[in-house]
Amino acid sequence: MTLAIVLVIAAILSLVLIVAAAASRSLQLSGSANLTAQIQPIDIEAFRNLINMADDEFLRVSLAPRQFREVRRARLRAVAAYVLQAGRNAALLVRIGQAALASNDLRTQQAAQELINNALLLRRNAAFALLRIYSALAWPNSGLAAAGIADRYEHLSGSAMLLGRLQNPAVPVRLAARSR
Amino acid sequence: MLQAHSILWHYLWLAPHILQLALAAALIHRGMRRLFPLFLAYLLYEAVEEFTLYAMDVLPSVTWETFWRAFCVGLTIESLLKFALLGELFSHLVRPWPAVARLGNRLVSGTGAVLVLLATLAAAYTAIDNPQHAIISRAHVLEQTLYIIQAGLILFLFLFATYFRLSWDHRTFGILLGFGILSCEHMASWALAANGFLFERRQLLDFLDTTTYHVCVLIWFYYLLIPGKNPTTSAAPLPEHNLAGWNRELERLLQQ
Repeated sequence: MTLAIVLVIAAILSLVLIVAAAASRSLQLSGSANLTAQIQPIDIEAFRNLINMADDEFLRVSLAPRQFREVRRARLRAVAAYVLQAGRNAALLVRIGQAALASNDLRTQQAAQELINNALLLRRNAAFALLRIYSALAWPNSGLAAAGIADRYEHLSGSAMLLGRLQNPAVPVRLAARSR
Repeated sequence: MLQAHSILWHYLWLAPHILQLALAAALIHRGMRRLFPLFLAYLLYEAVEEFTLYAMDVLPSVTWETFWRAFCVGLTIESLLKFALLGELFSHLVRPWPAVARLGNRLVSGTGAVLVLLATLAAAYTAIDNPQHAIISRAHVLEQTLYIIQAGLILFLFLFATYFRLSWDHRTFGILLGFGILSCEHMASWALAANGFLFERRQLLDFLDTTTYHVCVLIWFYYLLIPGKNPTTSAAPLPEHNLAGWNRELERLLQQ
């Protein structure tokens, strides 16, 4: 009896999620005219500084263990905020890229294809990085390898700039708030 | 009205499968047989299976044991076809995007393995609701098991696409939406049946199942035969964000 109730609840929840996903697809098709305005540029350098292992090492030897854990947790929360935003931007770029795929211009299509692939890769990496960041929040003394995200984000920024230039050569396009 | 062998009962058993055959014919006529070969195979197989089961149900010469054995064999083949079809739909989604195709394939395999384990555990903990007719109980448990796996996989596909903001092709989406609704409802319905709920009024679950199936066939009709609208997202370039001032302020703050 209990099993049946559990399965019925699971089925209802699954159905709700599927219908919600279907509804979000419809909204995506009809109401996504101003996606570019939703992109929040990210400062790559600030992010790099936050994930600098040398800084972490310096803090480790300079601070008392308890203090270090507090500081490291605060830094990790900031890193998580950056990664979340990078992931959100990547999701927006996937949608912008998919819209650009409908273009008649072959170069724009190719640039859109590359942008989407890079954005998907970033979104994937962001998901993995968040897992690591949250586990590092639980164990602040462990290492953290999120540096790949910064490189991927810069690569993505380049793809977005190329696509933007192809679509409208007069308007400069920037994803990262500051590039090297 | 909600009785076994009423006019509505006959209609709901037969009509969706007649519609399925009509849909299969329309797909072939429109040259779409190569686009979704497994879906076409499913439509044809499901219609033949259900007509056979219907004939076995109404023919007095067929015993209930024979009916339920045929039911189990048909269900097993149908489920294998559905799992292959889910793979086909997933490949439609990720094939253009190598960045997530490999990860997606691994996640689908992993999710499938976990679902098989969970469904097997659920089957092991399901009591035989009808000991005098054990084959009927086993058929119910088999349905419950297969629909747990199907509903879980379909949910995973939707969540995967939503997370990566991958856009479904109009037709692929329609097929999967139909299967999603069908699998969730059938999972709940067969879980109730397998665990002895509504034992005396089992036909109510039959009505629920066949009505849902009818709705899903209509969903497939809509998505496969009516062209979808194109995305209205503007292909405008990304605007420049003037965050230099904000950065300077932050850097100054950091250097204090």
